[in-house]
Amino acid sequence: MYGALDISTSGMTAQRTRIEAIAQNIANKDAILDSNGELSPYRERIVHFAPGDPSAKTADGREMGVHVSMIEINQAPFNWRYDPESAFAAKSGPHTGYVPEPMVNPVVQQMNAMEAARAYEMNVVAAEATKAMTAQALRLLA
Amino acid sequence: MLIDEVTSSGAMPALEMMVRFAGSRQRVLAHNIANIDTPNFRPMDVSPGGFQAALAEAVERRRAATGGESGQLEWKETSEVRAGADGFLELTPKTASGNILFHDRNNRDLERTMQDLVENVTVFRAAIDLMRGRTELLRQAISERS
Repeated sequence: MYGALDISTSGMTAQRTRIEAIAQNIANKDAILDSNGELSPYRERIVHFAPGDPSAKTADGREMGVHVSMIEINQAPFNWRYDPESAFAAKSGPHTGYVPEPMVNPVVQQMNAMEAARAYEMNVVAAEATKAMTAQALRLLA
Repeated sequence: MLIDEVTSSGAMPALEMMVRFAGSRQRVLAHNIANIDTPNFRPMDVSPGGFQAALAEAVERRRAATGGESGQLEWKETSEVRAGADGFLELTPKTASGNILFHDRNNRDLERTMQDLVENVTVFRAAIDLMRGRTELLRQAISERS
């Protein structure tokens, strides 16, 4: 029974990590400079899940649940915007006069955020159900 | 021993198996829900019908052996349900959801999963309520109240 709560918690943790990555993607969707002020447009973070929870304390817990297997940095080409006046516009090459911008689609991010929020809610519902069962079993003795 | 007679009389052993099964199945269902977005994950469940059939057989065996009023249930291992040494039921989920594959190669079935969860909690609650009735009876007998 406590195992079931651990499993639901691993699901909530994984979905929260995903929402954090999405929030970061949306926050940085126009960031073309890195923290040193150099031209290096932000790259989208994509969270990947895999079954099992390596951080769990028990063997059963490691077998079940879900965890974040990797956070991929999307290497998709930048979104080139024509702005020859900009100090960051390419001076030569095929993109002359264009400024590279992050390839982050806010609509896709919004959809992913909704999906993650609903999946988080599902895990909360499962945890509530487990809690109700534990409470019932305790009332047997009271 | 007297206490064995108390805990193995009437429907108590069958109710106990129902509670153990629902408790173990809750982990399987929570696992399926936690992996609702995991690519390549195929949700697997334990068939409650299979468990109930095995439970019915065990009850029949007890009835044939003792007349059905008392005695422990002798649980015969099925391919999905095995009684572990520590009192827990070990479940090996083998029943696939049978839903179509999504593009991430996960054949989740949201509605059925949540329905299974609700059903499981209801079964657990029903069994616990019936057990509570038995323990309440015992309590009254112990305190010599009518």
